[in-house]
Amino acid sequence: MSTRGAVVLRTNIGRPVAFVRKIPWTAASSELREHFAQFGHVRKCTVPFDKETGFHKGMGWIHFSSEEELHNALQQENHIIDGVKLHVQPQKPKALQGDQTSDEEKDF
Amino acid sequence: YVLLSHLHFSVRLSPGLLGLLSQARLHSIAAEKKNYLQEEPTSSHRRNASQFDWALMRLDNSVRRTGRIPKTLLQKVFDNTCHSGSPGGNQALLLLRSCGSLLPELKLSERTEFAHKIWDELQKLGTVYDVSHYNALLKVYLQNDHKFSPTDFLARMEKGNIQPNRVTYQRLIAAYCNMGDIEGASTILGFMKTKDLPVTEAVFSALVTGHARSGDMENAENILTVMKEAGIEPGPDTYLALLNAYAEKGDIDHVKQTLEKVEKSDLYLMDRDLLQIILSFSKAGYPQYVPEILEKITYERRYIPDTMNLILLLVTEKLEDTALQILLACPISRESSQNDFGSFFLRHCVTMNTPAEKLKDYCKKLKEAQLHTSPLQFTLQCALVAQKLDLAKVLMKALKEEGFPIRTHYFWPLLVGHQKEKNVQGIVEVLKGMHEIGVTPDQETYVNYVFPCFDSIKSVRAVLQENGCPHDDNVFSQAELRSKAVNGNLDYILSFLVDLAGVNFYCVCSNLLLLLQCTHFLSYQITELLYKDGRYCQEPPGPTEAVGYFLYNLIDSMSDSEVQAKEERLRQYFHQLKEMNVKIPENIYRGIRNLLDSYHVPELIKDVNILVEREKTDSRKPSSSDLESKLEKLKAENQPIGDILKQLIVMLCSEENMQKALELKAKYESDMVVGGYAALINLCCRHDNAEDALNLKREFDRLDSSAVLDTGKYVRLVKVLGKHGKLQDAINILKEMKEKDVPVKDATVLSFFHILNGAALRGETETVKQLHEAIVTLGLAKPSTALSSPLVTLYLEKDDLPAALESTIDCYEKYKILPRIHDVLCKLIEKGETELIQKAMDFVSQEQGEMTMLYDLFFAFLQTGNYKEAKKIIETPGIRARPTRLQWFCDRCIANNQVETLEKLVELTQKLFECDRDQLYYSLLKLYKVNDDWQKADAVWNKMQEENIIPREKTLRLLAEILRNNNQEVPFDVPELWYEEEKDCPTSLPSPVEVNLQQGLLNACHRRRNKGKHAFNIFLTAKKQNIVFDNETYARLINLLLMKDNSTQAMQVKDFAETHIKGFTLNDAANSLLIITQVRRDYLKDALTTLKTALDLDQIPSRLAVTRLIQACALKGDTESIHDIQKLVNGLEDSIGLSRMVFINNIALAQIKNNNIDVAIESIENMLTSENQTVDPQYFGLAYLFRKVIEGQLEPALKKISIMAERLANQFAVYKPVTDLFLQLVDSGKVNDARALLQRCGAIAEQMPILLVFCIRNCQRPGKAPVMKSLLELIPELIDKEEAYTCLMKSYVFDNDVTSAKALYESLTAKNVKLNDLFLKRYAVLLKNAGESVPFTEPPESFEFYAKQLKESKETHL
Repeated sequence: MSTRGAVVLRTNIGRPVAFVRKIPWTAASSELREHFAQFGHVRKCTVPFDKETGFHKGMGWIHFSSEEELHNALQQENHIIDGVKLHVQPQKPKALQGDQTSDEEKDF
Repeated sequence: YVLLSHLHFSVRLSPGLLGLLSQARLHSIAAEKKNYLQEEPTSSHRRNASQFDWALMRLDNSVRRTGRIPKTLLQKVFDNTCHSGSPGGNQALLLLRSCGSLLPELKLSERTEFAHKIWDELQKLGTVYDVSHYNALLKVYLQNDHKFSPTDFLARMEKGNIQPNRVTYQRLIAAYCNMGDIEGASTILGFMKTKDLPVTEAVFSALVTGHARSGDMENAENILTVMKEAGIEPGPDTYLALLNAYAEKGDIDHVKQTLEKVEKSDLYLMDRDLLQIILSFSKAGYPQYVPEILEKITYERRYIPDTMNLILLLVTEKLEDTALQILLACPISRESSQNDFGSFFLRHCVTMNTPAEKLKDYCKKLKEAQLHTSPLQFTLQCALVAQKLDLAKVLMKALKEEGFPIRTHYFWPLLVGHQKEKNVQGIVEVLKGMHEIGVTPDQETYVNYVFPCFDSIKSVRAVLQENGCPHDDNVFSQAELRSKAVNGNLDYILSFLVDLAGVNFYCVCSNLLLLLQCTHFLSYQITELLYKDGRYCQEPPGPTEAVGYFLYNLIDSMSDSEVQAKEERLRQYFHQLKEMNVKIPENIYRGIRNLLDSYHVPELIKDVNILVEREKTDSRKPSSSDLESKLEKLKAENQPIGDILKQLIVMLCSEENMQKALELKAKYESDMVVGGYAALINLCCRHDNAEDALNLKREFDRLDSSAVLDTGKYVRLVKVLGKHGKLQDAINILKEMKEKDVPVKDATVLSFFHILNGAALRGETETVKQLHEAIVTLGLAKPSTALSSPLVTLYLEKDDLPAALESTIDCYEKYKILPRIHDVLCKLIEKGETELIQKAMDFVSQEQGEMTMLYDLFFAFLQTGNYKEAKKIIETPGIRARPTRLQWFCDRCIANNQVETLEKLVELTQKLFECDRDQLYYSLLKLYKVNDDWQKADAVWNKMQEENIIPREKTLRLLAEILRNNNQEVPFDVPELWYEEEKDCPTSLPSPVEVNLQQGLLNACHRRRNKGKHAFNIFLTAKKQNIVFDNETYARLINLLLMKDNSTQAMQVKDFAETHIKGFTLNDAANSLLIITQVRRDYLKDALTTLKTALDLDQIPSRLAVTRLIQACALKGDTESIHDIQKLVNGLEDSIGLSRMVFINNIALAQIKNNNIDVAIESIENMLTSENQTVDPQYFGLAYLFRKVIEGQLEPALKKISIMAERLANQFAVYKPVTDLFLQLVDSGKVNDARALLQRCGAIAEQMPILLVFCIRNCQRPGKAPVMKSLLELIPELIDKEEAYTCLMKSYVFDNDVTSAKALYESLTAKNVKLNDLFLKRYAVLLKNAGESVPFTEPPESFEFYAKQLKESKETHL
């Protein structure tokens, strides 16, 4: 019973993931990984291919290891791969409310 | 015996729900009838209408956007039209009309062929053609330059008994003229004249063309003069005909002259016309004149689609050079490189097999002209889509020369085509092509695109070698491993791991992950092998890193709910690993820790922590003991230690050493800094140590009141404090979060939910309510359905249904959400709570509409196994498919593995309007796949044929997969896909290894399948094997069986348990359920015995159970039993929540049923008039008794009761009974009796509190307007009471009684009553809905707004 309620809320939220659209067909996950590596450590990068067509659907997900890295990536206005501008947004469209530095780092 | 479902019972007992149902149906029937008046009364007509709308919309959009219709779209619309049954005339027209110049990508002959196909096909399907269809066909012929015999055409029409009209003749003339047959045209013209049909410009234009094509340009020119003489001024069409005629002759001079002539006149040629001239020049072989015309084109935006259309047509006609010329002349903004122009041209060139070298050149030119940024890439994509290997190779080489990388996945689309056809040779060709270009296939290429084409991987290797396809053995082996892992082939993987060293361990790991994902169990074997077998770990990082990496990825690959669900399992797994002496490096541990944190299972962190390899922690970092000695040294030297202390505490925290960390803090308290506290607080929370966490937080605040913790730490504090009953402290933390503006992210909101849900499951009412209230009012989170669901869960878990419903409704009133309404409804139905169901349904219906209500009810009936009732609902006329809601229920069934429920859903929705049957069957197949039930899947295949459903490809593929997995033959052709990633694969795959009977039984109880049949069968199996379960298991099973109305089976289980477990008894809930079940089945004696047993065990039976029993006895006239019950529960009334009135009403009723009317009356009278009254007369409610007497038409009793009530009023001034009786008479429609009673006893009208309560209760339900109206007529003074007229209006609005509402409003305004906004709002909406004008300004805000306002104003007045 307890998990039933939880299912409602099951998402990847809270994890630093960028959702990328409009990926040119010429690029796949390694190209994306290469591009986004400049913003931080890319833990995972998926660009699912449609096995019916052999093409991907122009969408992908970049899993960073921290919110800050994701933030860096989102900060950049233009993301261009193979001459094509990508659409990059956080996994969930809700606004990020500024980043918090860990309180354990603070000495005051 | 027949098992009566709960609702049957309910319906029998109280007509409420049935009434509700029939009412819902009536509403819909009324709506339906209204539609009938507006449309033709056939549903197929309406279906066709919507089909037509859809088709029109699709085609129309395409033409508007691009000036054309792609063939695939037309084909799709055509197919759809054909499948829709008998296509209507307008659909046929639409399709035929699209087969001409709107299809520039098709050769002229192909277009006509298409038109004929549509014509014949639709005719076969029963479409009846009229003249408009023939005319449309003629137009298509003309547009496509189709050669045909006009006389034959006319004969055909005649045969079809269709009279040609003017348009027909015009088009036939044009047809003759196009062939240059002036004679033929004249014949037709003769026809027209005899029929006295007017000759229009179109005819003259045609004649211009006719003369020109017959080679007589002079007469062509002359037509213009003839026209003028006939009184028709030549318009643009005529001039265009002339221009085209000259262009076809290549006569640029005359074209120019004519154009000048037109320019000088007040006529105007559009771009579209000029494009026609260009086409004429090009087709006649004079492309050299194209530029001169192009100059004259204005390129208005709206003609761009026409230009594109022409370009495509030219490509189709193999005039691609001219097409490019026009394309390059298009003045498209070159600045914004965003939008490439010319893609449509390139794509069509590829389709039309334009030579590769030419295409390369075009690409170059487009790029130079800056029309297109990446024409080669785009063309390559088109070539790949069209599976043109040779063209693709040329283009790739060109790209490579440009320095653009050629990547492996470029070849996948090419492989896909061959893979579908299992064309081995094709695959080999592509692989060779890859080699030629210098690209090596990778794992994915093999696994996804090559292997599926072959029977076995061995044969792939052989074929590749045979054909001289070079391949990297290592990559190949990895691919092989991967494909085995995907299949869940554990044995193979194990043997592979044992046999084959030297493969990169990262590759091994990722494959193992796949394997684990597929099989859903944690294999110690694999982990151990990975760790112990040196061969995988020869590389420097060593085994710890490999296992650590493996564990990290394992957890990363699980979803948070999966980890939550498997928390205990993972914990055991980690401890098992510990016992196996498996270690992981610290940095990876930190990664895992972060993951677990983000999954909201920080409780697991300490379990992973035990695996950390302490000795090998980074040598650059000092150990905790190093730090400690350093700290002591500094302290001894009297130097500042703050920094090192913090470091040490943080380190101890990361080592999960709470005790030591706390000791250290105590020892050096004065040197603590904020950072150290933060880490410590978090540690204590993790260890569920609320006391210390709170103290530390206070110290932290004392140290620096402005310091802010991380969001996660605040949340953890709230959780721990809430859990340990420190509610106010938890709320204070929330307040602090707000005050300090701590960022609240989605994850935080999720954490809030988990906190509330946890408390709800533990039954902590106050914690849930207060924390929820605090979170919402502080604005930390929005009151979403999910966040508020614990408010309802709380009561559902306690089985307190009225409160659960109240809570849901309360949420709607407060936040406009209905959390867990489905679960609430299900429980209400299970318990047969008709009144509450009615309440819930009224509410949903009023707030969210009737359709939503019907779906809610439908799903709840399905879920509870009341299929007959579900069927009634879904057959409500006017109900239509709501795909998202249906999908929601399907997904739910799949997730909970409810096979029967889903089957019933699919069955019952067969005739549901607009229902996507294929989608439903797809869901069903998904569930069968989970259960690997190929027989049922096979039955679905047959059912779909029976229902004439066209399965989508994915459905066929899924079906084939299930059959193939079970070694069954696939009875149809299916596009082969060897492995489909099922991202949404449910996590609830059964793990057959661990299923033991008891668990199975509990699971079955939990799932409540087949009315508990499944669970009961497990019980029988166990019984045969003499296996005895524990107390709890039997209790659960009995509960389930009782809820499913299987009391016989329940008793069987009970007997077995009693004889096998010493002291086994049913608990309170089970006994109450048993009583209800027995009452329902009319076993009153048994029910009484059960009640006795329960009370002997000191149990408190439910109010519902006791009331039901008493009422049943009363209806049987069994006074004695009621007295017995009264004695039995004596002293427990308050605990049970039983009012004394239940006994008084029912004893009286029983006596009346036994014809002891006088006794009943006497005892009631005594109670009300004696000195020592047990019940205050104001609360002496006899409405139930009165209602039963009226309903039962027990006239003598009613008469005597009436006399008693009047006597009580007149002689003893006890007005409650007479007022209740009066109201019951009104409520039953016995208005005359009521009036007579009122005349005899005028004091009734003064019993305002009683009357108002009646009003307030009645206006909550629909259908009460007549009752309210009668009441007002009888007691007109009521109108002076605000509560009363509010209720009256509410009732009238409920029942749409505009007339009564108007009368009420008028009489109120006549009295100058100041009406509140809510009242006015309600009235205004009623009027508006009835299409009447509102005689005052409608209050602008929402109902809720005014309701709230009114409530607040009343509170302040108090």
